[in-house]
Amino acid sequence: MIMIYLATFNWGWLLASGLVGLAMGWIAVVHRGRGWSTTTLRKVAVLIVALILAAVFHLAPGRAGYWLDLGLVMFAAYVIGCAVGSWLRSLVVARHAAAG
Amino acid sequence: MNRISSWARKWWPGLIPLVFLWIGAIWTNTSPLETDIAARSTAALKGTVLDKTRISVSGRDVSLSAEAFSEEGRRSAVSQVEAVTGVRLIDDDTTLIREARPFEWSIERDVVRITLGGHAPLPASKARLADAARAAAAGTEVLDQMILARGAPPRFDTAALLLIDQIGRLKDGKITLSDTAVSLTGMAREIGNREAILAALKNLPEGYSVKENAIKAPPYVFRANKDPVANTVTLEGYVPDNNVHAAIVAAVGRKFFAEKLVDNLKASAGAPQGFQNAVVAALGALSRVSTGSLMLSDREVKLSGDALYAVAADQIRGGIGGELPQGWSVKADVSVKPVASAVDPTVCQQLFFELLGKAKIRFESGRATIDKDSMGLLDKLIETALRCPTANIEVAGHTDSDGDNNTNMALSEKRAQAVSDYLIKAGLPPDRLKAVGYGSSQPVAANDTDDGKAKNRRIDFVVK
Repeated sequence: MIMIYLATFNWGWLLASGLVGLAMGWIAVVHRGRGWSTTTLRKVAVLIVALILAAVFHLAPGRAGYWLDLGLVMFAAYVIGCAVGSWLRSLVVARHAAAG
Repeated sequence: MNRISSWARKWWPGLIPLVFLWIGAIWTNTSPLETDIAARSTAALKGTVLDKTRISVSGRDVSLSAEAFSEEGRRSAVSQVEAVTGVRLIDDDTTLIREARPFEWSIERDVVRITLGGHAPLPASKARLADAARAAAAGTEVLDQMILARGAPPRFDTAALLLIDQIGRLKDGKITLSDTAVSLTGMAREIGNREAILAALKNLPEGYSVKENAIKAPPYVFRANKDPVANTVTLEGYVPDNNVHAAIVAAVGRKFFAEKLVDNLKASAGAPQGFQNAVVAALGALSRVSTGSLMLSDREVKLSGDALYAVAADQIRGGIGGELPQGWSVKADVSVKPVASAVDPTVCQQLFFELLGKAKIRFESGRATIDKDSMGLLDKLIETALRCPTANIEVAGHTDSDGDNNTNMALSEKRAQAVSDYLIKAGLPPDRLKAVGYGSSQPVAANDTDDGKAKNRRIDFVVK
């Protein structure tokens, strides 16, 4: 319910986050640079879980609480965008490989 | 899974624009979101009765501060706001308004304004009472100093509205309601208003009672003025009801034989005890003066005027006090009218004839006691007799033909003697007076009708 409210109020910003994610995901599949190490990825995951817990248990007061919720929702939209982007790109890459 | 993990390792650069987006969203949408939540929270509370409601929103957290009129109302207000979409947390700063013990309420009227004070149970009833006060004030400024409190007795509004209606009847004063006890002080606006308030207070709702009623009324005034030039008796002021009014008008008819009555009396409650008797006695005194005025104010009688001769002045001064009911006081300012110029006996006879043509000396039925209502006429006869010092006067008593002759003769003689004695007491020399009883021997009208008989029962003054 609350998510829906945030989504309806900030739908433009969420869409933008999703699109950035989509683009980032698209690029990530063929990017040759170094990614995060497993340790960094874990640390980030722990941080995200901690932030989600903080949001769920209403640990941040007032505006900070709202900003945290908003940030997490935008992050979620971004991650979904990334996943979809990477998956689409991998399909394209696989087809090219099959054709080549 | 490995593939996703290998992609995810390279997703991080997008976090940088994401952070900018996040800042943009915060920058542009925080305030509108707060405004939206505040507006919808306020709307949600529309149906709940609260006082001093304050809603402030920080992010999605609502801080609600208000005074509720019951614990149930307070809880319902909080849950109403909790149910608003988008609200995350509620900072509940609601309290119950204080309970007043005793629950006091008052309405006070002074020269310039009407002030409502004390407690009111709900904002709606506060507004209703203020409106009612404005309606009752008829243009006077109304100051609302009521504060809201819990603890009003049942049917408070009905009682307070009834008391507000009474403020229009007061010139100044204060009506206080302490729980269910009513106290009133002040001065009624008009005569009769005190009684009207008393009657209205009988309609107080069940359980309410009048603890103290110290409403004073303006003096109950009755005025009479005798004007010999216009030949009128003017009555002004108040009488308690139509019966008393009729009795007073009848008394004027009996006591003032020549004057025309100008009746400006108004009916109003609030007359002091013994009002009618006092008015009739005082009018008797007024009938004996030449020019005079009478003023009754509550239980005080003021009479001023000119008596027709010295003895009459003494009689008026001494007599009126004794005739007034218990508790009444009198202030008589009676002077003596200068003696009119002497006239010769023929004129004197003419004057007697004219006076006795307008009215008759009346007696108690079958007896020789002069009726008090005839004092005014006797004074005029005596004044006339004093103007002709050379004339000898025969006071002649006559009866109708009813009853036996001897009795009639004796009665007519006794009545003539009573009048003669009265004249002597008034200062006329006894040797100039002669009382004669003629019984029914000299009728002036036929004795076959009541009207004719009434004309025959008479005292004549004959100059010899």
